[in-house]
Amino acid sequence: MSPSFRRAAFLVVVFSALVGGALAAETGAQAVKVRQTQMKALGAAGKVVGDQFRSGKPDPAIIRREADKFEAAARILPNLFPAGSGREAGVKTRALPAIWSDPSGFAAAVHRYAEAAGKADAAAQKGDMAAVGGALSDLDHACNGCHDKYRAKEHG
Amino acid sequence: MPPPLAAGERRLLWDKPTRLLHWLIVGLVAFSWWSATHEHLPWHRLSGYTILGLLLFRVIWGFVGARSARFGSFLRGPVAAFDYVRGRGAALVGHSPLGGWSIVAMLVVLFVQVGLGLFSVDEDGLQAGPLSRFLSPDPDVAYDRGRAIAHLHHLNFRLLLALIALHLAAVAFYAVRGRNLLGPMITGRAALPAGAAEVRPVPAWRALASALLAAALAVFVARGLRF
Repeated sequence: MSPSFRRAAFLVVVFSALVGGALAAETGAQAVKVRQTQMKALGAAGKVVGDQFRSGKPDPAIIRREADKFEAAARILPNLFPAGSGREAGVKTRALPAIWSDPSGFAAAVHRYAEAAGKADAAAQKGDMAAVGGALSDLDHACNGCHDKYRAKEHG
Repeated sequence: MPPPLAAGERRLLWDKPTRLLHWLIVGLVAFSWWSATHEHLPWHRLSGYTILGLLLFRVIWGFVGARSARFGSFLRGPVAAFDYVRGRGAALVGHSPLGGWSIVAMLVVLFVQVGLGLFSVDEDGLQAGPLSRFLSPDPDVAYDRGRAIAHLHHLNFRLLLALIALHLAAVAFYAVRGRNLLGPMITGRAALPAGAAEVRPVPAWRALASALLAAALAVFVARGLRF
């Protein structure tokens, strides 16, 4: 093997590692972005539902529409955390390494959300606003519970 | 004019409503902090609404309360504050010209804190202040604004902590110089300087009427400006 060939091979290896790394980072960064967009949308849905209940007479049609979003989110939630979308993604994210180092605990936290969202959605379809209210409290705790464990604190 | 007092006589300085309000705010600010850090947001809101009522009461009391509680008695210009710092001020009953402005600063920061809380939105959007419904008709925009305000709520709390630290430092400063500010805020009584005019308590019905008005306003706000 000539030295120039070895050098070329070495460069190819380095180059593909760099490109591969960049691509992985790119997809990781994209995953972070998708996740943040989805979470914000959930927050906005929560705001609509919260406003409805705070008004004292929630509109069943609006509640049904938003509860659908909660339920749909439960199904995509596990896919929002692909490997490589943590801090290593190279963009700002508060997702903690525990998401990937404690998969069973994280899955349980996601499951808790899915259960509450399912309950809220079922009650909303039946038009039982009191039951939706109860399920929302579970949902609120599921959100906070997961964020407490698997997301970095916002203020130091 | 009430008769002037002899030096060293322990007479009324802070009337009962002012003292009660002071200690309730101390307790509720501590409780608000605790309930926020432990995510008991329903309790946190209730605490905030109560503080709002107390602040409104304090403003009303600043006009109809006992003399030492009135803004007109303790808000003096910068010249008076400067003279006081240089030790050239007149004998005082109640807040010094500097202390008076620190009370206003405290009230303003507390009002801002409650005001921001009323518009704040929690991260999952489900829990939010009662006035957050006015942020925007677009839920995405409303959520973003409410979150931004929640951050300001957090920042302003640090400002509040700084003011509390300053307040305690001032109390300690006077204590070292032999003047007890804590006692009068508990018992209401203090040794007033010779020749000082007496602080007379005002009739209880004024406190009751002020409390009712403040409570009604606070409830109205807490219900999202709905009756």
